Amino acid sequence: MGVIGKRVAYYPGCSLEGAARAYDVSTKIAAKELGLELDYLEDYNCCGAMESKNVTFMGTMLMNARNMSLARKQGHSVIVAPCNGCSFSLQRAEYFLETDKAIFDKVNALLREGGVDPLDQIPQTYHILEWFYTEAGPQKVKEKTRKPLRGLKVANYYGCLYTRPHFYARTYAHAGGQDEEARPRRRETADDDEHPYYMNALLEAAGATNVEFEPMHTQCCGGPHSLSDEMVSEKFVMMILQTAKRNGADIIATECPLCHASLEMYRHRLMMKGVPDVDVPAAYFTQLLGLAFGYSANDVKLKDNLSDPLPVLKRLGLA
Amino acid sequence: MAIHERSLVEPERIVRKERLVIDGVDVSGDWNLLILPRVINDYDLDFGKEVLNTPEGKTINQCYQCSYCTASCPIHNYWDERYNPRHFIYLARLGMIDELQKRVDVMWRCVSCHKCTHRCPKGVLVEEVIKAILKVMAKRGLAEEYPSKKFDKFFTESVVEYGRIEDGELLFGWIEKQGYKVFKDPILKKPIPFVGDTPEWLKQLTMKPIKSMNIDFLLLNAKHMLFHPKTKNWNKFKQVLRKVMQEEGALH
Repeated sequence: MGVIGKRVAYYPGCSLEGAARAYDVSTKIAAKELGLELDYLEDYNCCGAMESKNVTFMGTMLMNARNMSLARKQGHSVIVAPCNGCSFSLQRAEYFLETDKAIFDKVNALLREGGVDPLDQIPQTYHILEWFYTEAGPQKVKEKTRKPLRGLKVANYYGCLYTRPHFYARTYAHAGGQDEEARPRRRETADDDEHPYYMNALLEAAGATNVEFEPMHTQCCGGPHSLSDEMVSEKFVMMILQTAKRNGADIIATECPLCHASLEMYRHRLMMKGVPDVDVPAAYFTQLLGLAFGYSANDVKLKDNLSDPLPVLKRLGLA
Repeated sequence: MAIHERSLVEPERIVRKERLVIDGVDVSGDWNLLILPRVINDYDLDFGKEVLNTPEGKTINQCYQCSYCTASCPIHNYWDERYNPRHFIYLARLGMIDELQKRVDVMWRCVSCHKCTHRCPKGVLVEEVIKAILKVMAKRGLAEEYPSKKFDKFFTESVVEYGRIEDGELLFGWIEKQGYKVFKDPILKKPIPFVGDTPEWLKQLTMKPIKSMNIDFLLLNAKHMLFHPKTKNWNKFKQVLRKVMQEEGALH
Protein backbone atom coordinates (compact mmCIF):
# COMPACT_ATOMS: atom_id res chain seq x y z
CA MET A 1 0.00 0.00 0.00
CA GLY A 2 1.21 3.36 -0.88
CA VAL A 3 0.83 6.37 1.32
CA ILE A 4 -1.30 9.39 0.56
CA GLY A 5 -0.96 11.30 3.82
CA LYS A 6 -3.22 11.93 6.80
CA ARG A 7 -3.65 15.62 6.09
CA VAL A 8 -4.83 16.64 2.63
CA ALA A 9 -6.44 19.51 0.76
CA TYR A 10 -10.19 18.96 0.66
CA TYR A 11 -11.95 20.07 -2.52
CA PRO A 12 -15.65 19.66 -1.74
CA GLY A 13 -17.08 20.92 -5.02
CA CYS A 14 -20.14 23.09 -5.54
CA SER A 15 -22.69 20.37 -4.91
CA LEU A 16 -21.56 19.69 -1.35
CA GLU A 17 -22.14 23.29 -0.33
CA GLY A 18 -25.84 23.09 -1.18
CA ALA A 19 -27.89 20.13 -2.31
CA ALA A 20 -25.46 17.49 -1.05
CA ARG A 21 -24.81 19.06 2.35
CA ALA A 22 -25.36 15.67 3.99
CA TYR A 23 -22.32 14.25 2.19
CA ASP A 24 -20.14 17.14 3.32
CA VAL A 25 -21.22 16.90 6.96
CA SER A 26 -20.94 13.12 7.12
CA THR A 27 -17.57 13.11 5.35
CA LYS A 28 -16.19 15.45 7.99
CA ILE A 29 -17.61 13.22 10.74
CA ALA A 30 -16.15 10.05 9.23
CA ALA A 31 -12.76 11.67 8.63
CA LYS A 32 -12.61 12.92 12.21
CA GLU A 33 -13.45 9.50 13.60
CA LEU A 34 -10.88 7.78 11.41
CA GLY A 35 -8.14 10.17 12.54
CA LEU A 36 -7.78 11.95 9.20
CA GLU A 37 -7.61 15.66 8.62
CA LEU A 38 -9.28 17.65 5.84
CA ASP A 39 -7.92 21.07 5.00
CA TYR A 40 -10.71 23.01 3.28
CA LEU A 41 -9.57 24.52 -0.02
CA GLU A 42 -10.33 28.21 0.41
CA ASP A 43 -12.07 30.09 -2.37
CA TYR A 44 -12.13 27.21 -4.85
CA ASN A 45 -14.06 27.33 -8.11
CA CYS A 46 -16.16 24.79 -10.01
CA CYS A 47 -14.20 22.05 -11.80
CA GLY A 48 -16.40 22.28 -14.89
CA ALA A 49 -17.69 18.73 -14.34
CA MET A 50 -18.46 16.69 -17.45
CA GLU A 51 -20.23 19.58 -19.14
CA SER A 52 -17.67 22.33 -19.61
CA LYS A 53 -15.12 20.04 -21.19
CA ASN A 54 -17.45 19.63 -24.17
CA VAL A 55 -17.46 23.36 -24.69
CA THR A 56 -13.90 24.44 -24.03
CA PHE A 57 -10.70 22.47 -23.54
CA MET A 58 -8.33 25.16 -22.35
CA GLY A 59 -11.06 26.63 -20.15
CA THR A 60 -11.44 23.42 -18.13
CA MET A 61 -7.67 23.06 -17.87
CA LEU A 62 -7.53 26.57 -16.42
CA MET A 63 -10.39 26.06 -13.98
CA ASN A 64 -8.75 22.93 -12.56
CA ALA A 65 -5.26 24.43 -12.62
CA ARG A 66 -6.57 27.29 -10.49
CA ASN A 67 -7.77 24.81 -7.85
CA MET A 68 -4.44 22.98 -8.00
CA SER A 69 -2.63 26.26 -7.56
CA LEU A 70 -4.74 27.06 -4.48
CA ALA A 71 -3.83 23.67 -3.03
CA ARG A 72 -0.14 24.34 -3.62
CA LYS A 73 -0.53 27.73 -1.95
CA GLN A 74 -1.89 25.98 1.14
CA GLY A 75 1.14 23.69 1.04
CA HIS A 76 -0.44 20.48 -0.21
CA SER A 77 0.65 18.05 -2.89
CA VAL A 78 -2.48 15.91 -2.54
CA ILE A 79 -6.08 16.94 -3.22
CA VAL A 80 -8.99 14.79 -2.12
CA ALA A 81 -12.38 15.19 -3.77
CA PRO A 82 -15.55 13.42 -2.60
CA CYS A 83 -17.27 13.72 -5.98
CA ASN A 84 -16.59 11.47 -8.97
CA GLY A 85 -17.02 14.42 -11.32
CA CYS A 86 -14.59 16.65 -9.42
CA SER A 87 -11.93 14.00 -8.99
CA PHE A 88 -12.31 13.08 -12.67
CA SER A 89 -11.90 16.68 -13.80
CA LEU A 90 -8.84 17.27 -11.63
CA GLN A 91 -7.26 13.99 -12.69
CA ARG A 92 -7.98 14.76 -16.33
CA ALA A 93 -6.22 18.10 -16.00
CA GLU A 94 -3.37 16.33 -14.19
CA TYR A 95 -3.02 13.89 -17.10
CA PHE A 96 -2.91 16.57 -19.80
CA LEU A 97 -0.61 18.85 -17.81
CA GLU A 98 1.80 15.99 -17.14
CA THR A 99 1.90 14.52 -20.62
CA ASP A 100 1.89 17.73 -22.65
CA LYS A 101 4.55 20.30 -21.84
CA ALA A 102 3.06 22.87 -24.25
CA ILE A 103 -0.28 22.81 -22.41
CA PHE A 104 1.50 23.05 -19.06
CA ASP A 105 3.45 26.14 -20.10
CA LYS A 106 0.42 27.80 -21.64
CA VAL A 107 -1.70 27.14 -18.55
CA ASN A 108 0.99 28.57 -16.28
CA ALA A 109 1.24 31.72 -18.37
CA LEU A 110 -2.53 32.15 -18.30
CA LEU A 111 -2.67 31.52 -14.55
CA ARG A 112 -0.17 34.31 -14.00
CA GLU A 113 -2.25 36.56 -16.22
CA GLY A 114 -5.34 35.74 -14.17
CA GLY A 115 -3.69 36.72 -10.90
CA VAL A 116 -3.09 33.18 -9.61
CA ASP A 117 0.26 31.66 -8.69
CA PRO A 118 1.59 29.39 -11.45
CA LEU A 119 2.04 25.70 -10.68
CA ASP A 120 5.47 24.65 -9.48
CA GLN A 121 4.35 21.04 -9.20
CA ILE A 122 1.16 19.24 -10.22
CA PRO A 123 -0.73 17.97 -7.16
CA GLN A 124 -2.22 14.48 -7.30
CA THR A 125 -5.95 14.03 -6.90
CA TYR A 126 -7.56 11.10 -5.13
CA HIS A 127 -11.15 10.15 -4.56
CA ILE A 128 -12.11 10.31 -0.90
CA LEU A 129 -13.04 6.63 -0.84
CA GLU A 130 -9.53 5.66 -1.95
CA TRP A 131 -8.11 7.90 0.75
CA PHE A 132 -10.31 6.43 3.47
CA TYR A 133 -9.42 2.91 2.46
CA THR A 134 -5.69 3.55 2.17
CA GLU A 135 -5.13 5.75 5.19
CA ALA A 136 -7.68 4.27 7.60
CA GLY A 137 -8.81 0.98 6.14
CA PRO A 138 -11.40 -1.60 7.22
CA GLN A 139 -9.46 -2.45 10.40
CA LYS A 140 -9.73 1.10 11.72
CA VAL A 141 -13.42 1.24 10.77
CA LYS A 142 -13.99 -1.96 12.72
CA GLU A 143 -12.26 -0.52 15.78
CA LYS A 144 -14.33 2.65 15.65
CA THR A 145 -17.70 0.97 15.06
CA ARG A 146 -19.90 1.30 18.10
CA LYS A 147 -23.26 0.49 16.52
CA PRO A 148 -22.69 -2.14 13.81
CA LEU A 149 -25.04 -1.94 10.82
CA ARG A 150 -26.22 -5.47 11.56
CA GLY A 151 -28.74 -6.84 9.10
CA LEU A 152 -28.46 -3.96 6.64
CA LYS A 153 -28.13 -5.20 3.08
CA VAL A 154 -26.24 -2.66 1.01
CA ALA A 155 -25.79 -2.37 -2.74
CA ASN A 156 -22.57 -0.43 -3.31
CA TYR A 157 -22.90 1.90 -6.27
CA TYR A 158 -19.55 3.29 -7.45
CA GLY A 159 -20.62 5.07 -10.61
CA CYS A 160 -18.59 5.61 -13.73
CA LEU A 161 -15.67 7.82 -13.04
CA TYR A 162 -14.38 6.46 -9.75
CA THR A 163 -12.04 3.99 -11.47
CA ARG A 164 -12.48 4.99 -15.09
CA PRO A 165 -10.73 5.83 -17.33
CA HIS A 166 -7.43 4.37 -16.18
CA PHE A 167 -5.52 7.14 -17.97
CA TYR A 168 -6.80 9.64 -15.46
CA ALA A 169 -7.67 7.53 -12.42
CA ARG A 170 -4.52 5.38 -12.83
CA THR A 171 -6.31 2.22 -11.86
CA TYR A 172 -4.76 -0.02 -14.46
CA ALA A 173 -1.66 0.03 -16.60
CA HIS A 174 -1.78 -1.96 -19.76
CA ALA A 175 -0.20 -1.49 -23.16
CA GLY A 176 -1.94 1.68 -24.14
CA GLY A 177 -0.49 4.21 -26.50
CA GLN A 178 2.55 4.05 -28.72
CA ASP A 179 4.56 6.47 -26.66
CA GLU A 180 6.28 4.62 -23.81
CA GLU A 181 6.52 7.80 -21.74
CA ALA A 182 2.84 8.68 -22.11
CA ARG A 183 1.67 5.28 -20.90
CA PRO A 184 -0.34 5.44 -17.72
CA ARG A 185 1.21 4.10 -14.55
CA ARG A 186 -0.89 2.25 -12.04
CA ARG A 187 -1.17 3.97 -8.70
CA GLU A 188 -0.32 1.71 -5.78
CA THR A 189 -3.33 2.83 -3.80
CA ALA A 190 -5.79 2.48 -6.67
CA ASP A 191 -8.92 0.39 -6.46
CA ASP A 192 -9.57 -2.54 -8.80
CA ASP A 193 -10.60 -1.02 -12.11
CA GLU A 194 -13.49 -3.26 -13.20
CA HIS A 195 -14.46 -4.69 -9.82
CA PRO A 196 -14.00 -1.92 -7.26
CA TYR A 197 -14.31 -3.16 -3.68
CA TYR A 198 -13.15 -0.39 -1.32
CA MET A 199 -16.67 0.67 -0.35
CA ASN A 200 -17.74 -2.97 0.10
CA ALA A 201 -14.80 -3.53 2.43
CA LEU A 202 -15.42 -0.39 4.52
CA LEU A 203 -19.14 -1.02 4.94
CA GLU A 204 -18.61 -4.69 5.67
CA ALA A 205 -16.20 -3.69 8.41
CA ALA A 206 -18.97 -1.45 9.76
CA GLY A 207 -21.20 -4.52 10.04
CA ALA A 208 -23.31 -4.29 6.88
CA THR A 209 -23.92 -7.10 4.41
CA ASN A 210 -23.07 -6.48 0.76
CA VAL A 211 -25.39 -7.81 -1.91
CA GLU A 212 -24.28 -8.95 -5.34
CA PHE A 213 -24.48 -5.85 -7.53
CA GLU A 214 -22.27 -6.50 -10.54
CA PRO A 215 -22.21 -5.24 -13.23
CA MET A 216 -24.56 -2.43 -12.22
CA HIS A 217 -22.12 -1.11 -9.59
CA THR A 218 -20.28 0.83 -12.29
CA GLN A 219 -23.16 1.32 -14.74
CA CYS A 220 -23.71 4.94 -15.74
CA CYS A 221 -26.69 6.75 -14.17
CA GLY A 222 -27.04 9.18 -17.08
CA GLY A 223 -24.54 11.51 -15.46
CA PRO A 224 -24.08 14.73 -17.43
CA HIS A 225 -27.26 13.99 -19.38
CA SER A 226 -29.48 13.66 -16.29
CA LEU A 227 -31.35 16.77 -17.33
CA SER A 228 -30.74 16.99 -21.07
CA ASP A 229 -31.47 13.38 -22.07
CA GLU A 230 -34.21 12.25 -19.72
CA MET A 231 -35.27 9.03 -21.43
CA VAL A 232 -31.78 7.52 -21.35
CA SER A 233 -31.17 8.50 -17.72
CA GLU A 234 -34.51 7.06 -16.73
CA LYS A 235 -33.70 3.71 -18.31
CA PHE A 236 -30.22 3.53 -16.79
CA VAL A 237 -31.46 4.41 -13.31
CA MET A 238 -34.26 1.87 -13.67
CA MET A 239 -31.72 -0.84 -14.44
CA ILE A 240 -29.60 0.13 -11.44
CA LEU A 241 -32.47 0.32 -8.96
CA GLN A 242 -34.18 -2.85 -10.15
CA THR A 243 -30.95 -4.86 -9.96
CA ALA A 244 -30.37 -3.61 -6.42
CA LYS A 245 -33.93 -4.38 -5.30
CA ARG A 246 -34.09 -7.80 -6.93
CA ASN A 247 -30.79 -8.77 -5.34
CA GLY A 248 -32.33 -8.00 -1.96
CA ALA A 249 -30.75 -4.63 -1.11
CA ASP A 250 -32.32 -2.44 1.59
CA ILE A 251 -30.33 0.60 0.58
CA ILE A 252 -27.94 1.83 -2.10
CA ALA A 253 -24.68 3.32 -0.86
CA THR A 254 -23.35 6.08 -3.11
CA GLU A 255 -20.10 8.03 -3.21
CA CYS A 256 -20.88 10.81 -5.69
CA PRO A 257 -23.39 13.65 -5.23
CA LEU A 258 -24.24 13.66 -8.93
CA CYS A 259 -25.04 9.93 -9.06
CA HIS A 260 -26.91 10.29 -5.79
CA ALA A 261 -29.07 13.15 -7.07
CA SER A 262 -29.72 11.35 -10.34
CA LEU A 263 -30.74 8.13 -8.57
CA GLU A 264 -33.07 9.93 -6.19
CA MET A 265 -34.66 12.14 -8.84
CA TYR A 266 -35.36 9.32 -11.29
CA ARG A 267 -36.40 6.93 -8.52
CA HIS A 268 -39.17 9.38 -7.75
CA ARG A 269 -40.19 9.70 -11.40
CA LEU A 270 -40.12 5.95 -11.96
CA MET A 271 -42.29 5.39 -8.88
CA MET A 272 -44.75 7.99 -10.19
CA LYS A 273 -44.99 5.94 -13.40
CA GLY A 274 -45.62 2.76 -11.41
CA VAL A 275 -42.46 0.91 -12.45
CA PRO A 276 -41.97 -2.11 -10.14
CA ASP A 277 -38.99 -2.76 -7.85
CA VAL A 278 -37.45 0.69 -7.85
CA ASP A 279 -38.18 1.84 -4.30
CA VAL A 280 -34.65 1.39 -2.88
CA PRO A 281 -33.54 4.52 -1.04
CA ALA A 282 -30.02 5.90 -1.44
CA ALA A 283 -27.57 7.14 1.20
CA TYR A 284 -23.97 8.31 1.04
CA PHE A 285 -21.53 5.71 2.31
CA THR A 286 -20.19 8.25 4.79
CA GLN A 287 -23.69 8.61 6.27
CA LEU A 288 -23.76 4.86 6.88
CA LEU A 289 -20.26 4.98 8.38
CA GLY A 290 -21.39 7.85 10.61
CA LEU A 291 -24.34 5.80 11.85
CA ALA A 292 -22.00 2.90 12.59
CA PHE A 293 -19.67 5.21 14.52
CA GLY A 294 -22.55 5.95 16.88
CA TYR A 295 -23.82 9.24 15.46
CA SER A 296 -27.54 9.90 15.25
CA ALA A 297 -29.56 10.13 12.04
CA ASN A 298 -29.76 13.86 12.54
CA ASP A 299 -25.99 14.22 12.90
CA VAL A 300 -25.41 12.69 9.46
CA LYS A 301 -28.41 14.60 8.03
CA LEU A 302 -30.33 11.57 6.81
CA LYS A 303 -33.39 13.78 6.41
CA ASP A 304 -31.66 15.66 3.60
CA ASN A 305 -31.96 12.62 1.33
CA LEU A 306 -34.92 12.97 -1.00
CA SER A 307 -35.38 9.20 -1.18
CA ASP A 308 -35.85 9.01 2.61
CA PRO A 309 -33.82 6.03 3.88
CA LEU A 310 -35.04 6.59 7.47
CA PRO A 311 -37.95 4.06 7.47
CA VAL A 312 -35.67 1.24 6.29
CA LEU A 313 -33.01 2.07 8.87
CA LYS A 314 -35.61 2.45 11.65
CA ARG A 315 -37.11 -0.94 10.80
CA LEU A 316 -33.70 -2.52 11.35
CA GLY A 317 -33.18 -0.49 14.51
CA LEU A 318 -30.18 1.41 13.14
CA ALA A 319 -31.44 4.99 13.27
CA MET B 1 -27.38 -14.70 -43.58
CA ALA B 2 -26.60 -12.53 -40.65
CA ILE B 3 -25.21 -9.08 -41.30
CA HIS B 4 -22.51 -8.04 -38.89
CA GLU B 5 -23.39 -4.65 -37.31
CA ARG B 6 -26.62 -4.39 -39.25
CA SER B 7 -27.25 -0.92 -37.83
CA LEU B 8 -24.53 0.42 -40.14
CA VAL B 9 -26.52 -0.48 -43.26
CA GLU B 10 -29.52 1.63 -44.18
CA PRO B 11 -32.70 -0.46 -44.49
CA GLU B 12 -33.27 0.65 -48.10
CA ARG B 13 -29.93 -0.86 -49.11
CA ILE B 14 -30.88 -4.34 -47.87
CA VAL B 15 -32.61 -6.41 -50.55
CA ARG B 16 -34.13 -9.80 -49.86
CA LYS B 17 -35.22 -11.90 -52.86
CA GLU B 18 -37.70 -14.77 -52.86
CA ARG B 19 -35.95 -16.60 -55.69
CA LEU B 20 -32.47 -15.89 -56.92
CA VAL B 21 -30.77 -17.61 -59.86
CA ILE B 22 -27.17 -16.68 -60.65
CA ASP B 23 -25.52 -18.15 -63.76
CA GLY B 24 -28.20 -20.82 -63.95
CA VAL B 25 -27.66 -21.90 -60.32
CA ASP B 26 -30.57 -21.51 -57.91
CA VAL B 27 -29.16 -19.96 -54.75
CA SER B 28 -32.48 -19.10 -53.05
CA GLY B 29 -32.56 -19.72 -49.35
CA ASP B 30 -28.86 -19.35 -48.56
CA TRP B 31 -27.74 -16.38 -50.61
CA ASN B 32 -30.92 -14.40 -51.21
CA LEU B 33 -29.93 -11.40 -49.05
CA LEU B 34 -28.05 -8.66 -50.85
CA ILE B 35 -26.63 -5.33 -49.73
CA LEU B 36 -26.62 -2.75 -52.49
CA PRO B 37 -23.28 -0.97 -52.91
CA ARG B 38 -22.82 2.40 -51.30
CA VAL B 39 -21.89 5.38 -53.40
CA ILE B 40 -19.42 7.80 -51.86
CA ASN B 41 -19.62 11.17 -53.50
CA ASP B 42 -17.10 13.10 -51.53
CA TYR B 43 -14.55 12.79 -48.78
CA ASP B 44 -12.37 15.25 -46.97
CA LEU B 45 -9.08 13.99 -45.57
CA ASP B 46 -8.52 17.30 -43.81
CA PHE B 47 -11.30 16.42 -41.42
CA GLY B 48 -9.31 13.64 -39.73
CA LYS B 49 -6.25 15.88 -39.56
CA GLU B 50 -8.25 18.64 -37.97
CA VAL B 51 -9.44 16.22 -35.27
CA LEU B 52 -5.86 15.01 -34.84
CA ASN B 53 -4.70 18.56 -34.19
CA THR B 54 -7.06 19.19 -31.27
CA PRO B 55 -5.60 18.35 -27.84
CA GLU B 56 -8.39 15.82 -27.12
CA GLY B 57 -8.33 14.20 -30.53
CA LYS B 58 -4.61 13.55 -30.90
CA THR B 59 -4.94 9.81 -30.21
CA ILE B 60 -7.42 9.18 -33.06
CA ASN B 61 -4.86 7.57 -35.37
CA GLN B 62 -3.94 4.87 -32.85
CA CYS B 63 -7.31 3.20 -33.40
CA TYR B 64 -7.18 -0.25 -35.06
CA GLN B 65 -10.95 -0.75 -35.22
CA CYS B 66 -11.30 -3.64 -32.77
CA SER B 67 -14.69 -2.33 -31.61
CA TYR B 68 -14.08 -2.95 -27.92
CA CYS B 69 -15.40 0.59 -27.31
CA THR B 70 -18.66 -0.17 -29.10
CA ALA B 71 -19.05 -3.47 -27.27
CA SER B 72 -18.62 -1.67 -23.92
CA CYS B 73 -20.84 1.31 -24.69
CA PRO B 74 -24.06 1.47 -22.64
CA ILE B 75 -25.71 3.74 -25.20
CA HIS B 76 -25.00 1.24 -27.96
CA ASN B 77 -26.12 -1.73 -25.88
CA TYR B 78 -29.10 -0.37 -24.02
CA TRP B 79 -30.39 2.54 -26.05
CA ASP B 80 -29.59 2.98 -29.73
CA GLU B 81 -27.59 0.58 -31.93
CA ARG B 82 -26.76 3.41 -34.27
CA TYR B 83 -24.46 4.93 -31.65
CA ASN B 84 -21.19 3.26 -32.60
CA PRO B 85 -17.94 5.00 -31.52
CA ARG B 86 -15.71 2.70 -33.58
CA HIS B 87 -17.65 3.65 -36.70
CA PHE B 88 -17.50 7.36 -35.91
CA ILE B 89 -13.71 7.18 -35.64
CA TYR B 90 -13.56 5.22 -38.90
CA LEU B 91 -15.70 7.76 -40.72
CA ALA B 92 -13.78 10.70 -39.32
CA ARG B 93 -10.44 9.29 -40.42
CA LEU B 94 -11.70 8.63 -43.91
CA GLY B 95 -13.28 12.05 -43.95
CA MET B 96 -16.72 10.78 -44.93
CA ILE B 97 -18.52 13.79 -43.64
CA ASP B 98 -21.95 13.19 -45.13
CA GLU B 99 -22.04 9.77 -43.46
CA LEU B 100 -21.10 11.38 -40.14
CA GLN B 101 -23.77 13.98 -40.64
CA LYS B 102 -26.42 11.28 -40.99
CA ARG B 103 -25.51 10.11 -37.49
CA VAL B 104 -25.27 13.46 -35.81
CA ASP B 105 -28.66 12.91 -34.15
CA VAL B 106 -27.17 10.08 -32.03
CA MET B 107 -23.58 11.26 -31.71
CA TRP B 108 -24.37 13.66 -28.89
CA ARG B 109 -25.89 10.89 -26.74
CA CYS B 110 -22.55 9.92 -25.14
CA VAL B 111 -23.00 9.98 -21.36
CA SER B 112 -19.25 10.27 -20.66
CA CYS B 113 -19.04 7.02 -18.70
CA HIS B 114 -15.57 6.39 -20.18
CA LYS B 115 -15.95 2.62 -20.51
CA CYS B 116 -14.66 2.99 -24.08
CA THR B 117 -11.56 4.95 -23.09
CA HIS B 118 -10.85 2.67 -20.16
CA ARG B 119 -10.93 -0.53 -22.15
CA CYS B 120 -9.28 0.60 -25.38
CA PRO B 121 -6.25 -1.67 -25.95
CA LYS B 122 -4.52 0.92 -28.10
CA GLY B 123 -4.73 3.87 -25.74
CA VAL B 124 -7.21 5.93 -27.74
CA LEU B 125 -9.06 8.43 -25.57
CA VAL B 126 -12.27 7.37 -27.29
CA GLU B 127 -14.71 9.57 -25.39
CA GLU B 128 -12.54 12.64 -25.91
CA VAL B 129 -12.04 11.79 -29.59
CA ILE B 130 -15.80 11.50 -30.20
CA LYS B 131 -16.31 14.85 -28.48
CA ALA B 132 -13.48 16.32 -30.58
CA ILE B 133 -15.16 15.05 -33.76
CA LEU B 134 -18.40 16.68 -32.67
CA LYS B 135 -16.57 19.92 -31.90
CA VAL B 136 -14.91 20.00 -35.31
CA MET B 137 -18.26 19.29 -36.95
CA ALA B 138 -19.86 22.10 -34.99
CA LYS B 139 -17.07 24.43 -36.03
CA ARG B 140 -17.77 23.62 -39.69
CA GLY B 141 -21.48 24.14 -39.17
CA LEU B 142 -22.32 20.46 -39.68
CA ALA B 143 -23.76 19.73 -36.25
CA GLU B 144 -26.73 21.78 -35.24
CA GLU B 145 -28.00 22.52 -31.76
CA TYR B 146 -28.70 19.39 -29.77
CA PRO B 147 -29.95 19.08 -26.18
CA SER B 148 -26.67 18.25 -24.46
CA LYS B 149 -24.83 21.04 -26.26
CA LYS B 150 -27.41 23.53 -25.07
CA PHE B 151 -27.09 22.26 -21.51
CA ASP B 152 -23.29 22.20 -21.62
CA LYS B 153 -23.22 25.82 -22.73
CA PHE B 154 -25.74 26.83 -20.10
CA PHE B 155 -23.68 25.08 -17.41
CA THR B 156 -20.37 26.56 -18.58
CA GLU B 157 -21.87 30.04 -18.73
CA SER B 158 -22.87 29.69 -15.08
CA VAL B 159 -19.38 28.53 -14.07
CA VAL B 160 -17.63 31.31 -15.95
CA GLU B 161 -19.95 33.96 -14.59
CA TYR B 162 -19.91 33.04 -10.89
CA GLY B 163 -17.06 30.56 -10.47
CA ARG B 164 -19.47 28.09 -8.91
CA ILE B 165 -22.70 26.47 -9.93
CA GLU B 166 -25.94 26.27 -7.99
CA ASP B 167 -28.22 23.26 -8.38
CA GLY B 168 -31.52 25.12 -8.10
CA GLU B 169 -30.55 27.64 -10.72
CA LEU B 170 -29.40 24.91 -13.10
CA LEU B 171 -32.58 22.88 -12.63
CA PHE B 172 -35.05 25.73 -13.01
CA GLY B 173 -33.02 27.50 -15.68
CA TRP B 174 -32.95 24.32 -17.74
CA ILE B 175 -36.66 23.75 -17.32
CA GLU B 176 -37.26 27.30 -18.48
CA LYS B 177 -35.17 26.59 -21.57
CA GLN B 178 -37.34 23.54 -22.23
CA GLY B 179 -40.30 25.87 -22.72
CA TYR B 180 -41.93 25.82 -19.28
CA LYS B 181 -42.98 29.15 -17.85
CA VAL B 182 -41.15 29.46 -14.54
CA PHE B 183 -42.53 32.04 -12.13
CA LYS B 184 -39.92 34.57 -10.99
CA ASP B 185 -40.03 37.08 -8.21
CA PRO B 186 -40.16 40.66 -9.49
CA ILE B 187 -37.18 42.09 -7.60
CA LEU B 188 -34.25 39.63 -7.84
CA LYS B 189 -35.65 37.82 -10.91
CA LYS B 190 -35.06 34.42 -9.33
CA PRO B 191 -37.32 31.43 -9.97
CA ILE B 192 -39.79 30.50 -7.24
CA PRO B 193 -40.58 26.78 -7.04
CA PHE B 194 -44.18 25.53 -6.52
CA VAL B 195 -45.64 28.52 -8.38
CA GLY B 196 -46.03 28.61 -12.14
CA ASP B 197 -45.75 26.03 -14.83
CA THR B 198 -43.39 23.24 -13.74
CA PRO B 199 -43.40 19.53 -14.67
CA GLU B 200 -45.50 17.34 -12.39
CA TRP B 201 -42.54 15.28 -11.13
CA LEU B 202 -40.62 18.38 -10.14
CA LYS B 203 -43.62 19.78 -8.30
CA GLN B 204 -43.95 16.57 -6.30
CA LEU B 205 -40.21 16.41 -5.73
CA THR B 206 -40.10 19.94 -4.35
CA MET B 207 -43.30 19.54 -2.33
CA LYS B 208 -41.96 16.47 -0.54
CA PRO B 209 -39.19 18.27 1.36
CA ILE B 210 -41.67 20.63 3.01
CA LYS B 211 -43.16 17.71 4.88
CA SER B 212 -40.11 15.74 5.95
CA MET B 213 -36.89 17.65 5.49
CA ASN B 214 -34.66 19.61 7.82
CA ILE B 215 -35.69 23.25 7.90
CA ASP B 216 -32.08 24.48 7.85
CA PHE B 217 -31.39 22.47 4.70
CA LEU B 218 -34.33 24.10 2.92
CA LEU B 219 -33.25 27.55 4.09
CA LEU B 220 -29.68 26.92 2.92
CA ASN B 221 -30.85 25.98 -0.56
CA ALA B 222 -33.31 28.86 -0.68
CA LYS B 223 -30.48 31.22 0.27
CA HIS B 224 -28.29 29.81 -2.48
CA MET B 225 -31.07 30.22 -5.02
CA LEU B 226 -31.57 33.85 -4.06
CA PHE B 227 -27.92 34.75 -3.65
CA HIS B 228 -25.79 32.77 -6.03
CA PRO B 229 -22.68 31.36 -4.31
CA LYS B 230 -19.61 32.98 -5.83
CA THR B 231 -15.88 32.51 -5.86
CA LYS B 232 -14.04 35.52 -4.49
CA ASN B 233 -11.18 37.01 -6.53
CA TRP B 234 -12.84 35.63 -9.64
CA ASN B 235 -13.19 38.71 -11.82
CA LYS B 236 -9.65 38.86 -13.17
CA PHE B 237 -9.62 35.12 -13.80
CA LYS B 238 -12.99 35.36 -15.51
CA GLN B 239 -11.53 37.75 -18.09
CA VAL B 240 -8.75 35.28 -18.89
CA LEU B 241 -11.25 32.42 -19.16
CA ARG B 242 -13.42 34.40 -21.54
CA LYS B 243 -10.42 35.34 -23.63
CA VAL B 244 -9.31 31.71 -23.91
CA MET B 245 -12.81 30.60 -24.84
CA GLN B 246 -13.00 33.34 -27.43
CA GLU B 247 -9.78 32.05 -29.00
CA GLU B 248 -11.20 28.53 -29.13
CA GLY B 249 -14.41 29.78 -30.67
CA ALA B 250 -16.41 28.26 -27.82
CA LEU B 251 -18.54 31.30 -27.04
CA HIS B 252 -20.98 30.99 -29.93
